[in-house]
Amino acid sequence: MRARLTLVMVLCLALAACASVLGLGRTSPSRPFEHRAHVDKGVSCVQCHAGMGAADAKLKLHLPTTADCRRCHQKPHDERTCSGCHGEAHVRAETELARSHSRFEHGPHLRAAKGDCVRCHLGAGEARAAVLRPSMATCFGCHEHQGDWRARDCDRCHVDLARESTPPSSHLVHEGDFVREHGVRAAGARDLCAACHSERQCAGCHGAKTAPGLPARLRFDEIRLSGLHRAGFRSRHAEEARAQPGMCTTCHADGACVECHQRTRVAPGIAPRSPHPAGWISASRGSLHGPEARRDPAACAGCHGGAGEQLCVGCHKVGGAGGSPHGRGFTSTKDRLRDQPCRMCHGVGP
Amino acid sequence: MAPLVRRAPILVLAFVGLRTLDASAQSLRLGADAVAQTNAPSPAGLLVLQGEDRRRTWLSVEGLVWTGARPDGAGTSPGEHGRNVDGDILSLSGRLRAPRGLGDLRGGRFVLSTGAIRPIHMDGLAALARAPSGTSVEVFGGTPVAARLRDRSYDWLVGGRVAQSVSTRGVLGLSYLGRRSRGDIADEEIGADLAMVPVRWIDLAARSAYDLSSPGVADAHASVAARRASLRVEAFASHRSPGRLLPATSLFSVLGDLPSRTAGATVRWDAAPRLDLLASAAGQTVGGDPGGNAWLRATLRLDDGGEGRLGVEARRQDVSSARWTGLRLIGAHPLGRGLRVSSELELVLPDAPRGRGAVWPWGLLALGWRSGTGWEAAGAVEAASTPERRAEVNALARLSRTLELP
Repeated sequence: MRARLTLVMVLCLALAACASVLGLGRTSPSRPFEHRAHVDKGVSCVQCHAGMGAADAKLKLHLPTTADCRRCHQKPHDERTCSGCHGEAHVRAETELARSHSRFEHGPHLRAAKGDCVRCHLGAGEARAAVLRPSMATCFGCHEHQGDWRARDCDRCHVDLARESTPPSSHLVHEGDFVREHGVRAAGARDLCAACHSERQCAGCHGAKTAPGLPARLRFDEIRLSGLHRAGFRSRHAEEARAQPGMCTTCHADGACVECHQRTRVAPGIAPRSPHPAGWISASRGSLHGPEARRDPAACAGCHGGAGEQLCVGCHKVGGAGGSPHGRGFTSTKDRLRDQPCRMCHGVGP
Repeated sequence: MAPLVRRAPILVLAFVGLRTLDASAQSLRLGADAVAQTNAPSPAGLLVLQGEDRRRTWLSVEGLVWTGARPDGAGTSPGEHGRNVDGDILSLSGRLRAPRGLGDLRGGRFVLSTGAIRPIHMDGLAALARAPSGTSVEVFGGTPVAARLRDRSYDWLVGGRVAQSVSTRGVLGLSYLGRRSRGDIADEEIGADLAMVPVRWIDLAARSAYDLSSPGVADAHASVAARRASLRVEAFASHRSPGRLLPATSLFSVLGDLPSRTAGATVRWDAAPRLDLLASAAGQTVGGDPGGNAWLRATLRLDDGGEGRLGVEARRQDVSSARWTGLRLIGAHPLGRGLRVSSELELVLPDAPRGRGAVWPWGLLALGWRSGTGWEAAGAVEAASTPERRAEVNALARLSRTLELP
């Protein structure tokens, strides 16, 4: 019992010690601005955020200054700038960035909402809301932008969305296992991805044939945990490929392996050993290469694709010692005497 | 395994880029990178020119062209032994947009990926038209990219996709791809894709391609994600038929159908304001052999901006002949005045070393600097013990410059 109590106390102390590291404790004197307290006191929004409806205020944030605060708070508890503690600097920076990338005027909205700012800035009513910027769903609540959304006509509201570099809150794909997930998510919304992402971002990985190098390799100092080819990928690439047969073909063409292996001098005839285990090819039925080739034919094509296919044809052509290579589930609509690759074994040759 | 440390010839990897990072409505941004590394496995000397212009909302143009060299005569491109100088085009494309998103036209060299059609790096044209009813039609044609402008793997490709939006809740698409290689059918697939957001906290996506030349499902993927507050849960499943993913002109496409299948779940939990946890577990079958994989990632940001961070990843892969355990650690810490030190360490323990070493460690220590006026510099040392080499040491350096032009 005493040991358990000690353990609980140690855990509590450890958690308390880690609180600031985890972001649970306060490390900065700044805090979300107390909008709710001002609303409760009957202070209207435009009392602090003056000039909202002005015609020349299109790109202004209308953030109050210390002088504005002191119109009411005539005996401040501190002589320092109010915004140093009340409100968070990074929230203001994000708001300024968003403001500079949106086509928006407060004036008409203020008139349409009859001065009710909370109708859009829903967070103003919450006690500890850090961000009051309305979400896109709030805009859609009044505006008929569904057509723009479907047409990916972002420019009607956003100024150069790609430059803003702030994924919308609904952009869930970036929060999960991006490498595995982005393909299926982008399938139905490629044009939505293109609203922010450039061609070269896709081509950096999917244009493997002509890329100057892996993006992660060229920006080697920008470390992160996610990413397919990061860290010691070169050591484990064979294991990774065997675990996901066919996945490498998403970016790499057949023959890609041998090209790289020859360049890095890790290939049969150059390297001191064959990549294949003993018994890989034998006259008996226990030959290993057949089942492995059916399991991951893309791996074979990686080295033996193209002209290297003749190595297989030598044994597996019709009447050859290797027998039929067709395994379970093989079907084809091709003409075996005329079409490639059937004619290599069934016809007169390539 | 080579008994000695690999002799490291000093290969100067000069990666110089003129890069338009992104152009705002009023400006153009350009950038340049120079990278050098010893013992380079990749191209050794590069000159990269990039450009992107988005100053007009109806037109955007971008491109990336590079040339490179290495001093040891080993060639800079795959299969190009003896060539010291090389070069290629990664991307060079233009995009015209019709007013109000009624359509767009892309031309040049770009990555095409739409619906169930897997990404294709191609030279050609792609046109997209949208009707106010939510129907969209996309057609494309061209030739797949061949490295260094050599003989092309395929003669040409054509395809398209028809999609229908359902309100803003989802989209359903049907696609077709036909590809020929020297007159022979290399790929002929039809596909379907679906993306839905039935309620605000759930979204799902799926796609599947059906091979017409060797009838059967080439690949299929589905993902459903739900999010509540700090928790996100995703369930996923995939099916791949490796033989059907190869060009139908490949001899290795006739070996039969032994698909690999995966089903699992990924959970993300923002456990604390600065602590994110991401875990995934999946069951797999590879050619009929059952197995699975699982991993856990934890990232702790050391400041609100995420400039400093610590991360750990533990991973286990256990299927077919791919059985290994891995551990990765990362750390980054700002030193002030734009300086940042970062480090990565990875340990991989294969279950069956087969003479390749019982453990494959890899580590990198980097120091970066960012001026705030567009200059960046970084240097690093990496060391590893790989299946091929008992010990490898490599030094890397990068100098970058970005410019914003009015």
